[in-house]
Amino acid sequence: MRKPTERSTPYWSAIGCVVSVFVALVVQAAPTQLIDGVNIMPTWPLIAVFLWSGLRPHFMPPFIVFAIGLCQDLLTGAPMGVWALSYLVSIAAFRFRGEDGMPRDLPPILARFAGTLVLAHAIAYVAGSMALWQLADVRPLIIEATATILMFPLIAYLSLRRRRGSRSGFIGS
Amino acid sequence: MASRRSGRHEGEGGVRFSRTLFIALLVLSGALIAFDRPTTRSSAFAGFRAGFTDIAAPVLELAAEPVRALKNIGPYFHRQGELAEENARLRQQLVEARYWEDLAYRQRDRIEIYEAALDVDTPAALDRIGAWTVADPEGPFVRARLIGRGGDAGIADGYPVINLYGLVGRVYETGRRSARILLLTDLNSRIPVMADRSNARAVLIGDNTNFPRLEYVGRDADIQEGDRIVSSGDDGVLPRGVPVGQAVATRDGGWRVRLYSDQAPVDFVWVWPYHRVLPPADEESLEAPGAVPETSAVEGSEVPADAAAEVPATAETPQAGADQ
Repeated sequence: MRKPTERSTPYWSAIGCVVSVFVALVVQAAPTQLIDGVNIMPTWPLIAVFLWSGLRPHFMPPFIVFAIGLCQDLLTGAPMGVWALSYLVSIAAFRFRGEDGMPRDLPPILARFAGTLVLAHAIAYVAGSMALWQLADVRPLIIEATATILMFPLIAYLSLRRRRGSRSGFIGS
Repeated sequence: MASRRSGRHEGEGGVRFSRTLFIALLVLSGALIAFDRPTTRSSAFAGFRAGFTDIAAPVLELAAEPVRALKNIGPYFHRQGELAEENARLRQQLVEARYWEDLAYRQRDRIEIYEAALDVDTPAALDRIGAWTVADPEGPFVRARLIGRGGDAGIADGYPVINLYGLVGRVYETGRRSARILLLTDLNSRIPVMADRSNARAVLIGDNTNFPRLEYVGRDADIQEGDRIVSSGDDGVLPRGVPVGQAVATRDGGWRVRLYSDQAPVDFVWVWPYHRVLPPADEESLEAPGAVPETSAVEGSEVPADAAAEVPATAETPQAGADQ
């Protein structure tokens, strides 16, 4: 018989997943350019999708990944399907497989996220260029990717710390 | 190993990607990319997008509030020491402005008399619709702003959008309570413009940089560094004379424009309900019995023949392109 404290209820994690993805999408579209000098926005939804697909894989089936990408397309005014396709393919390619799933050490997670990020942005660039029928601007993508890779370690560290710290925590396993 | 495995839930061997579902979603993504091109977007897709932004707009508006508060913190503390001096300067400007206000009223009355005498119909007296920016996505594919007012406030596709300093862009997706503005810097933006000083025509083409290009300026076009660039109204979609920016020469001999609207972040804007000038053929079709009045300023629009001759890549929004 397992004690209630040994295992977290999935509802809190589910709420955490929904809230974090929702906030990531809203922040992605928020009018940050109102503040002078802040024009750099990491790809928050990709960070959320990647981490949740490692921490709670059953929260991130393909259609949820697709839906998050589609929401980002609609919120940012991009052609529909661009981010949906890039998230779907990159998460499918770099997701944590096997019984061990997401490791508890940061470096392998960082390496895998870097792969996901590069693939996602490459696909978005190609798909976006095809949709626009001309080459898309690569500079914002590079800036976005750089900001994302710089921001990711902090978010990943906090997530892993929470996961290590309690066996029955918010993200806990 | 046991310790690592002990922390896992049963059945969590990675993301459960059903192959069939995955392939189906890939195909769906590809289809969406193929059919939701900005230049050939159908009204169904445009309606779906507008509906989604209608739902998202209140949430984004809520999210924009703290950003606006943050925006005001810096200037507030920075300006405390300068308030007395600024107040005195503003009072002086107010005194001077009263003279200009009086002059403007007199000129307006005079113009009204002339217009009545000449039977000239000017569209400048229409009310403008104010709106706040609620989202400003700036990425590799689009440079747009989402505003918190839409069709219910009288906004329609194609209406020009201005801020305190000049032209910002035009409306290209209109929902009931929200609308998306295509900025002048966007890849799909084409605006016929002219130099205020010489009336030299050109087309302002966005290329996702902060300084859109001036194209089709002609071999001996009379454009000089610093010339004030305004909309020419050649396409019949935009009113003539809306300030756009200043001409800037590039190293390769071309021209770009430093936009007036970039002097401050695009936060509060006015949508100008300007009704495009219809070609005679369209006017006749509207007057025909049973004809459906045009609800959108851009939908179904065609460029007048004379404007098309003068402006090769005329200003069309993606939605306009979809209907051509």
